[in-house]
Formats: sequence, C-alpha cells, structure tokens
Amino acid sequence: MRRALRVELRRGTAPLAAAAMFGAGVWMLAVHPDDWGGRWAGLANYLRVSLLILCALMIAAGAWQSGRERRRDIDELIASTPRPGWQPVVVAWLAVTLAGAVGLLGAFAGAAVLVARVATYTGGGWWWTLTVGVLALAAAAAVGVLVGRLVPLRVAAPIAGLATYLGLAIVIYWDGNPAAWLSPVYGGWAVYSLVPDRVTALQAAWLVALTVLLLAAAARQRRAALLAGGLAVTAAVPIITGPGTYRLPADPAAVELVCTSSGPQVCLSRINAFLIDDVTEVVQPILARLDGIPGAPRRAADQAAQPAGQSLESDDGTVWLSLDYQSTALGGLVSRKSLRADFRQVTRARCEDPSGTRRIDQRVYRTDTLATDWMLDEAATPDNVPLARLRSLPEPAQRTWFAAYLDAAHRCDTSALIRLGEQL
Amino acid sequence: MTTVSVDGLRVSYGKRVVFDDLDLELGVGVHGLLGPNGAGKTTLMRVLATALHPDRGDIRLLGHHIGDPSALRQARRQLGYLPQAFGFYPRFTVREFVEYFAWLKEMPPARIPLAVDRAIERVGLLERADDRMKHLSGGMLRRAGIAQAIVNDPRLLLLDEPTAGLDPEQRVQFRALLRELGLDAVVLVSTHLVEDVVAACTRVNLVDGGRLVFTGLPDELMAAGGDGDSGDSPIERGYTAVLRGARTVPR
Repeated sequence: MRRALRVELRRGTAPLAAAAMFGAGVWMLAVHPDDWGGRWAGLANYLRVSLLILCALMIAAGAWQSGRERRRDIDELIASTPRPGWQPVVVAWLAVTLAGAVGLLGAFAGAAVLVARVATYTGGGWWWTLTVGVLALAAAAAVGVLVGRLVPLRVAAPIAGLATYLGLAIVIYWDGNPAAWLSPVYGGWAVYSLVPDRVTALQAAWLVALTVLLLAAAARQRRAALLAGGLAVTAAVPIITGPGTYRLPADPAAVELVCTSSGPQVCLSRINAFLIDDVTEVVQPILARLDGIPGAPRRAADQAAQPAGQSLESDDGTVWLSLDYQSTALGGLVSRKSLRADFRQVTRARCEDPSGTRRIDQRVYRTDTLATDWMLDEAATPDNVPLARLRSLPEPAQRTWFAAYLDAAHRCDTSALIRLGEQL
Repeated sequence: MTTVSVDGLRVSYGKRVVFDDLDLELGVGVHGLLGPNGAGKTTLMRVLATALHPDRGDIRLLGHHIGDPSALRQARRQLGYLPQAFGFYPRFTVREFVEYFAWLKEMPPARIPLAVDRAIERVGLLERADDRMKHLSGGMLRRAGIAQAIVNDPRLLLLDEPTAGLDPEQRVQFRALLRELGLDAVVLVSTHLVEDVVAACTRVNLVDGGRLVFTGLPDELMAAGGDGDSGDSPIERGYTAVLRGARTVPR
C-alpha cells in the first residue's frame, strides 16, 4: 500500500491538490489576518472559516483523481487485477487527503509561527477545532472520490466544487440551527468561546463515519456503507437535536483579565493580552483626561470579559473595548481609530421618547459629537467653532462642562443637552 | 495439459449476441487468435481477462472456476492482460506505472522492484524506465503495456493487438519474447498480422461471426489454403480458405 501511495502522492492529483490548498490557505490568511492574529483559537477558527473554499477544492481534487481511470480508459485493465477494488479507491483518497492537508497545514504553519511569537493564551481546546477541520478535509476528498466514480464527466470536478461552495455557504445562514454543526465550516463563535466537548466529539464522529460511508459507496462495499451510514446517523441525530451554535459559554481562562499596574487601569482578557501595550498607549491618555470627572469611566476593559447580559452602555465606570478583530498578523493593533471609537459608548445619549422609539434630536446629536471630540482630544477643524470655544475655556471649566454633559446624558435631559451645546 | 477451459460461453451486448455456446481449450504455449474485424476476438479476450462477465458459460482459468470470488482472485494473480485500447497515466514514469500494476496484482512487496526492472528490460525499455509515459512514442507505450502485463510472470497472458505500433525490429524482438513466455505459460495473442502467428505461435484459433471456425497448428492452417485462394502467403491463403469454408456452412 505504501508503494502505491508514494506513486499517487508524486504523480496523481495529490501534488496539484497540495499546491492548490497551500495557495488558497495563504490567500485566505492574507485576506483577514485580523481574524487570527496573535490567537491560537483565532487561527483554528479561521481554518474552519476557510473550509468554505477549501472543502470545495478538496472535493474537486477528489473527483478529478477518482475520475482518472475512466478518463484514461484504464478501468478495464484495473478490473482484471486481483486487488480488491476498495484499496485503489482508498489509496487515491488518502493521497489527495494527505497532500491537501499538508498543503493547507503548511500555509497555516507559517501563520502559526507568527501567532506563537505573541500569543498569550494557549488553551481553549483550539486543537480540537483544528482536528475537526482536518477531518472535514478528509470527508470532502471522499465526497469528491464518490462524485468522480459516479459521474462520467470531466466537468464533474469543478461543478462538484462549486456546488459544495454554494451548499456550505447556505448552511452558514443556518447559524443558530443545531443542524449547522453538521457543516464543518466555522459557525462564527468568538475566539474565547468554548465549543462543548460533546459537540466536538460528535462532529468528529460524524465526519469520520461520513468519510467511511462515502468511500464504501465509491468502492461499492455495500455492507461497510450500511454500517458507516448507521454510525453517521447515530452521530448526526444528537447533533441535530442538541443546542444550537448561539450563546456558547466563554472560556473562563481565556477571558481572565490581565490589567496594567500603573496609570488608569486597562484590562484585557488573557487571550487578547498580547495587545495590552498597544491598547494602553491609546486608551490611557483618554482615561487620564477623564480622571476625576464625575460620571466618567475610570477604566477600560476587554469586551470579551464583560459579564454575560450586561449592555455596553451600563454605567459601571468601565469602557468596554472590542478587540475581536483588532490584531494584525504580527500581533499589533489594527486600528487605533476604532479603539478610540469604543469610547463613544460614553458620549452616546440614549434617550427614548414616550412612544418607545429612539429619536435623536439633531441638536442633541451635535452636543454628543462635541463631547466626543473633546473627550478624544480630536483636532479642531476651522468649521468646528463650538469645539474651539470649549477648548478656549480654562481646563476646570472644560471638565465642568463635560461633567454636566455626562449628567444630562445620564438623566436623558434633552433640554439640558441642547442648552449645553448652544452655550458654546 | 489444458489450463484454460471455456464451455458453452454466451456473450451479448444488449440484443446483439457475440458468442453463443462457444467452447475453447488452451494449454501451455503461444496461441494466435485470428479473425476479421467484429468476429469477437476482443470480446473473448475481455471475458478471459475477467473484465467482462459473460451471460452464460463455464470458465476455468488455470484450474480456477471464475464464478467463485476467491478462485477468481487467485486466477487474476496469475493473469497478465494487455487490452486493445491501452490506457495509461501520462504523469507516471514507466517504472512507476509497471510498479503500480505490480501492486494491483498483489505481488509480494519484496519482489516488486526486481520484477519491475526485469519486465521493463524484457520489453527493451530499461533506458526509458524513468521517462514519463506521456513522453513515449506509440510503440514504446505498447511495450510499456506489455511490461505491466508480464510483471507478475503470469501463467495466463492475454495480449490484444500487442504488435500494433511496433516497428519491424521491435516485432522480431517481441516474437522472441512471446516464444520465451510460451514455454511455461498460456499466451493468447489476438492479432491481424498473420505472419506474427507463423513466427511465434504454436497453435492458431480462428473466430468468425462468434464461432470458433478453426483450431490447430499454423502449418495446418497454411495447408488449408490452395493456389486459388486470395492472399500473398500460405498462411493468408489458409486464413481466407477457412473463412470462406466456414461461411458456406449453415449455422
């Protein structure tokens, strides 16, 4: 078997599959480094996101490989040999699977080197996420092998790949439906979420049984196909009838806070702690500016660690920072601007009229904007006269104005907010 | 000693019956299979290669009844087959291609490297063993096909048009190889080239219209022809005479 596998790895579809998977992997990683930078769980989750494209490629590769006998008019010659038909099928599938997985893991290994340099949290069971992803590649190659055996057309491979892409894309929109777990493509959970072990184990069992079922069907091994089909159903039923992909619990160790020890407090969850220096550099000057102003936040913390059910606007003296997509491939901060924008939660008037709808008076909006610009120490433009006037006041007067703003906003006193804007 | 026995063979493609109640027995030696286009030569080859299931008939290959799956597997291990339409994997080298078929023929792994080299050498392709199949000429491809057929030292070798594409020198070498193989194996060679039969075959079978119309020695076939029969050589005259005689006999 090793001899045939070696030949298939060198001369079959395998080298092409490896190159395609490597290229697609690099491309996917380059498109959204903010999804995976600095976080092992992010990298593993992103591999699962990439499966939308990669499974389609694997199916096309499997179909091309297994349609080869028919394309090359060699099936009759092979039929006259004694080796059981399932063995060449398995060797062809294994070659494509190994090559595809090596190509993909090669691409992701490069990203892993970058992650390893800065990652501050290694737990969270991300390796199981990765394992299920690799099993999904094997299952995809098996789908391709079956398609290649059943459909005697050269276009079977590209059409099967395209159909897979569309099918998996549709399943993504089932987000929340437990049946979405049957798809290996990542369901959009946060990097600090914990997928229950039971679900991961069932997903792995489902994919393994599905792979065996497809290969047995391709090799016309009816008994093995029935057995694997039974196992696949046994694994799928508890998945479909189980909890959906929403509201996964947070990994307590991943969201454990790591805080600065000097200056206004900035706390990041352990999984995002590699960003703490960059974040502190942006956030502490703002907190320092607000220090001592009644009603102003005293600290900034990672939104990943926010207690479940608490809204961003809760008045607990904390500004919650959204860091899910804030890492570059090298582990730096993606956007200082969007991090500063998280402070807008402090200066957003949340007033509802008696009908229950949120209708913002333009004059209130202008006052909010003025307060935000002052808080973030934005540069005054020539047409922003109110900000220039506010800045021209003595420092204590500026702080008094901002305290009055926070008080009015907290009470939702629209007339006071309008008055504060108009007095400048 | 009979090592291939076919009794009451019936093969049809849909409504078209190719063979009906054909009997055939082959012993060790090189057997030529002659016949006009559409006579059923390739169909018979495919049945004996176990690539085509007959509608009916009792077939024993090398003492194995091929209706029994385990006996079929045993027979296939000792079978070599070169189909008329020889497909190949263009990216494989000659050595890899022959090696792959050695694996398909369930040869013991330890024996494969030597057997592969020997088979390639016997067909005169050793210098091109590491060339990819897609870089070979038509004649070389045919020889690579013969190499895969003989890699397992088959006791039953079925060659369908093996000399197509070979130049005269290669055909002479191939005939020598056939004679060597026929010393201890059953070799059945389907061909249109009657001079190959004279040069290399110990016996001749002639099929026409799904019937075996002649079986005997090449000399007997040559003797069947007369001066009035068409053909440029005694064997061609014998061939046309037997066919003409068979076609006058009502079925």
